Amino acid sequence: MNKLIDDFQQNFLDESRWHYLTNGLKTTLIITFFAVILGFVLGFLVAIVRSTHDKTGKMKILNALCRVYLTVIRGTPMVVQLLITYFVIFGSVNIDKTLVAVLAFGVNSGAYVAEIVRSGIMSVDNGQFEAGRSLGLSYRQTMISIVLPQAFKTVLPALANECIVLLKETSVAGYIAIQDLTKGGDIIRSQTFSAFMPLITVALIYLIMVVVLTHLVGKLERRLSQSDRR
Amino acid sequence: MIDVKHLSKSFGEVEVLKDINETIDKGEKVVIVGPSGSGKSTFLRCLNLMEKPTSGDIFFEGENITQANEHEMNKLRQRMGMVFQHFNLFPHLTIKKNITLAPVKLGLMTADEADKKAEELLERVGLPDKADEYPSRLSGGQKQRIAIARSLAMNPEVMLFDEPTSALDPEMVGEVLELMKQLANDGMTMVVVTHEMGFAREVASRVLFMADGKILEQNKPSEFFAHPENQRLKDFLSKII
Repeated sequence: MNKLIDDFQQNFLDESRWHYLTNGLKTTLIITFFAVILGFVLGFLVAIVRSTHDKTGKMKILNALCRVYLTVIRGTPMVVQLLITYFVIFGSVNIDKTLVAVLAFGVNSGAYVAEIVRSGIMSVDNGQFEAGRSLGLSYRQTMISIVLPQAFKTVLPALANECIVLLKETSVAGYIAIQDLTKGGDIIRSQTFSAFMPLITVALIYLIMVVVLTHLVGKLERRLSQSDRR
Repeated sequence: MIDVKHLSKSFGEVEVLKDINETIDKGEKVVIVGPSGSGKSTFLRCLNLMEKPTSGDIFFEGENITQANEHEMNKLRQRMGMVFQHFNLFPHLTIKKNITLAPVKLGLMTADEADKKAEELLERVGLPDKADEYPSRLSGGQKQRIAIARSLAMNPEVMLFDEPTSALDPEMVGEVLELMKQLANDGMTMVVVTHEMGFAREVASRVLFMADGKILEQNKPSEFFAHPENQRLKDFLSKII
């Protein structure tokens, strides 16, 4: 027991080492938050282009571009994308690393969100589309008012899952020397030479965030399923 | 009101409609019957351009609509209501929202006007207490009546019905047909694809028989059912009556 308290003292209290964790957590949350937004925006746009192409045959060139994007992003590891974004694309400019991470993670997540949302759009019965169009609504109005809300509801669990994956994926941000939560814990380990306490704590913090997130999504899902009650 | 000239429609290799010529006047109630796969629904769906004709022309109030661009097509559809076999109500919206969505989104009514109109229509279709329910809570017959109300909210000049009772349990067919009869009595121009011969007999001003992508025979309902001439029609009627 005493050893545990000593460990705690040494890893978190001495020299205010706990700052590594709190600052790291802040960075992790910032990167995740903005990357999720970027990913959702990108993903929805790509999904709309792709499903419009599937449904109407229009937007050939945009669709081809989107397919290249999906293939490249889904075909290469996240860490490699992060390194390329930082050292190649922004290699010669002085740019905030966190911003680089937001861009890299957002663009990566967008590809997965796109396919999730597209599957949702395609799962909405074509009759919904026809009903909207038969009332005189345009393609865009039908999409926004009728199809997307239903698609969104269908894919919500998958989107939530993507958020969770992204939150955990940001732990590789240390590759471009960002001090995120994972890196924070690792720095403490390298200073105190004790691995158990900092790493388990880091894991616990991730776990708590994921559990809370899952709970919130469950709440939202229940609210959205109001229209299914019989 | 609607003039169809040399209308043909193919899906790939399959020719579904073959050189159809037909005129539908204002106030007419045209009922289209025929075996499945005869092109009835496709014909109906060509009238509001849900299907794009392969060749031929359709005139609505003297205007050729076959070359309409997106915008003109949307305008045209606002004037033609369509009721589907599977209702196609919007499951994520309340009944009232189902009815008011299009008129409000298209800027034809304010939200208040649309709400009033929706209440009026719900009264008319006999479901005034369902305004705030979701479609999943309704029976098939009720859903179809709401779908009709939704179309009527646009104040259409024509109503197209694509087998409106085919997906209903038998005991619910009556309430929907009753509503359609009321609509007919109010003078609505109607084109109805159906298998309900009783409805055709009672309400139609003209019955068309379609088979193999052509209109093989048409007549007033009394003549149509009593003295069919075409052999295909005779066979068809003998099978269903």
